[in-house]
Amino acid sequence: MTASATPPVEGRTIYRRPSLLSNPTSYCPGCGHGIVHRLIAEVLEELDLGGRTILVGSVGCAVFAYDFLRLDAVESPHGRAAAVATGVKRFRPDRVVFTYQGDGDLAAIGTAEIVHAAARGERFTVIFVNNGIYGMTGGQMAPTTLVGQRTTSSRTGRDIATTGYPLPMTEMLSLLSGVQYAARVSVGDPGLVGKAKQAIRRACEIQLDGNGLSLVEVLSTCPVGWGMTPSEAMERLRGEVVDAYPIGTFVDRPRGIAQRLPQPGPATRSVSEGF
Amino acid sequence: MAMSAPLVDAPFRRLPGGTPSFRPVLVAVERCKGCALCIDVCGPGALVLDTGQVNAMGHHPVQLVDADACTSCAKCARMCPDAALTIFARPKGA
Amino acid sequence: MAVLDRPAGAERPHLVASPSGTGREASQVPDRILMKGNEAIAEAAIAAGCDAYFGYPITPQAELLEWMARRMPEEGRVFIQAESELGAINMALGASAAGARVLVSSSSPGISLMAETMSYMAGSRLPCVVVNVMRGGPGLGSIGAAQGDYLQATKGHGHGDYRVPVLAPSSIAEAIELVRDAFIIAERYRTPVMILADGLLGQAMEPVSPAFRDLEPRADDWVLEGAAGREPRSIRSLHLRAEDLERQDNDLQATYRRIVDAEVRWAGEELENAEVVLVAYGTAARVARTAVERARADGLRVGLFRPITLWPFPAGALREAALGARGVVVVELSAGQLVEDVRLAVEGTVPVFLHGRMGGMIPTPDEVVGAARAAWSRTDPVPRTPRGRNGEDGR
Repeated sequence: MTASATPPVEGRTIYRRPSLLSNPTSYCPGCGHGIVHRLIAEVLEELDLGGRTILVGSVGCAVFAYDFLRLDAVESPHGRAAAVATGVKRFRPDRVVFTYQGDGDLAAIGTAEIVHAAARGERFTVIFVNNGIYGMTGGQMAPTTLVGQRTTSSRTGRDIATTGYPLPMTEMLSLLSGVQYAARVSVGDPGLVGKAKQAIRRACEIQLDGNGLSLVEVLSTCPVGWGMTPSEAMERLRGEVVDAYPIGTFVDRPRGIAQRLPQPGPATRSVSEGF
Repeated sequence: MAMSAPLVDAPFRRLPGGTPSFRPVLVAVERCKGCALCIDVCGPGALVLDTGQVNAMGHHPVQLVDADACTSCAKCARMCPDAALTIFARPKGA
Repeated sequence: MAVLDRPAGAERPHLVASPSGTGREASQVPDRILMKGNEAIAEAAIAAGCDAYFGYPITPQAELLEWMARRMPEEGRVFIQAESELGAINMALGASAAGARVLVSSSSPGISLMAETMSYMAGSRLPCVVVNVMRGGPGLGSIGAAQGDYLQATKGHGHGDYRVPVLAPSSIAEAIELVRDAFIIAERYRTPVMILADGLLGQAMEPVSPAFRDLEPRADDWVLEGAAGREPRSIRSLHLRAEDLERQDNDLQATYRRIVDAEVRWAGEELENAEVVLVAYGTAARVARTAVERARADGLRVGLFRPITLWPFPAGALREAALGARGVVVVELSAGQLVEDVRLAVEGTVPVFLHGRMGGMIPTPDEVVGAARAAWSRTDPVPRTPRGRNGEDGR
């Protein structure tokens, strides 16, 4: 290229990589983790929270998250991130604390910890990446794997008779009064990605309010685990996956959105009268 | 969502003969994994994988082949799992 | 440092020795109050600046949790009764990573649950103090005093190449001192530290000096607080490249060698001309001490070697203390765990016998005297060798 005598006209930057992203990631091509990391970095940068954020990592593909995000971070044993985050936030309540967990970490080995952190209303944010499979260990079935889905430990497809039904974690947790915000989003297309970012931003705002737990479940892809190209995986995410896991805001207490628990009433009494 | 810091030299390069050419998409070639999600979401079809190039990770990185068709909508950048794309708005007359 | 750990009126107080630099000399015994062991340990932690306590109820240490439930909020500090011991130890990991001085307590089955995270904390170099008020096992076992977790505690609890320093009080007064020492060791070497007590110590009430000592707050330059103005820090135990992990492991082992060199503690009684040396810790040591008195009154020359650090084990000092004896009798509330380290320490230079009780049973002093007699009669006389120390000094 020859140098020009005329200085070029500046073009306004519409989008550039957030500064809180550090090294290139080791995630597979097309993996949704990369998108979610990016959204977290964008939100924290826009809210200027990166300098006082502590990331509580987990075990799964995203165990390396601390290598990709410029944040103080602590590794957690598998499943325990919600307890580790409880310890961090209780001791440093003025910091922004969030966990980043996958299917195994939150919905299998970590169910007790997340349920009780939610019940206690711990004031941190949970980012739950649901791709319906255990990616890091080679593609085994997860509690969130769909019925009929083939994985390396459900080779003929998830069978209800022996392995039951997928766990709707956000629905379950949204019943708890300690949860201030619970939303399920998807990264299936740019519009959905934009809504996912809004949810993550809202979750941070809720944490800053300091009244309870904020949870964002992000439906995501695992192209290698699902045996698909990244494009095919996104198509599956927009179709079968979102049919099984409806997206939306389940709880946003400051805005008056909450789940009504079943109340004792005539229906219950008639059941007991039948005995 | 907009990053306000302007990057002076990036969106333009000089074609032979000195004509400035505006390129709305800048690709970080070494971060791209050739996943093609950006290509899927690009309405004008301005992006393709550069099968003539292999980056250090072993992927064909994406390249902007039709700069004029690009509207700087940034859907590609918003889908990119590797934050490999930088998007510039087209200045008047460019 | 010296503490009085015998009730008033005893003929001969028992002095506890620790390495210099870890406390102040008590010039006279101050006024004392009656405290339950569990509660005294809790209050000692509070006095030592414990920022956060996490626990779960389990007999025989529930009173420790209950004391903390009342006192920690009074002090404006963190208290959580977690959903399980798994929750508790992981909350401790997070709080310690963020810079808190943390105490966790449980009893044997709960400690088993904590094993994985103790391995993580050792690998991540996180300080923490964990109190195990041992009960009978295995399994749900019983709620009585036992010492069946010795191997678990001294060989690391969880997976991987690590150890934790283990401190074993044998009285409530000593427990109070060791709580503060445990925090010091944990923070000096960046390691979890275990206080190994038992159900009798936890439940008993004894007169103790209420002058619990404080401790300067943690001042670490590696804790997590948000990366504003500096490079981000990460606290991890994962080092995927073998060369990296070996380097980390070598650093850890080097730290353990420093601990072995500097932190061994033990106490001895009547070792000078002992023909039979009893080795015991914790509650078993109290019985053994009475057995020493009775045996001596009966003309049998018995002494007591009491390890206070179970890891690092006072192997050199024990070997030396047993040199002139006919036999060593290990008295423990287990099927034989401490006895393994005793055998390793003496390396065949003296016969080693075991008197063990399990299930929550505690031997009587007369039983122990009987075991000492049996050891005496089954062994040959040894030429007496002059030995200077009675083991007050800890090496």
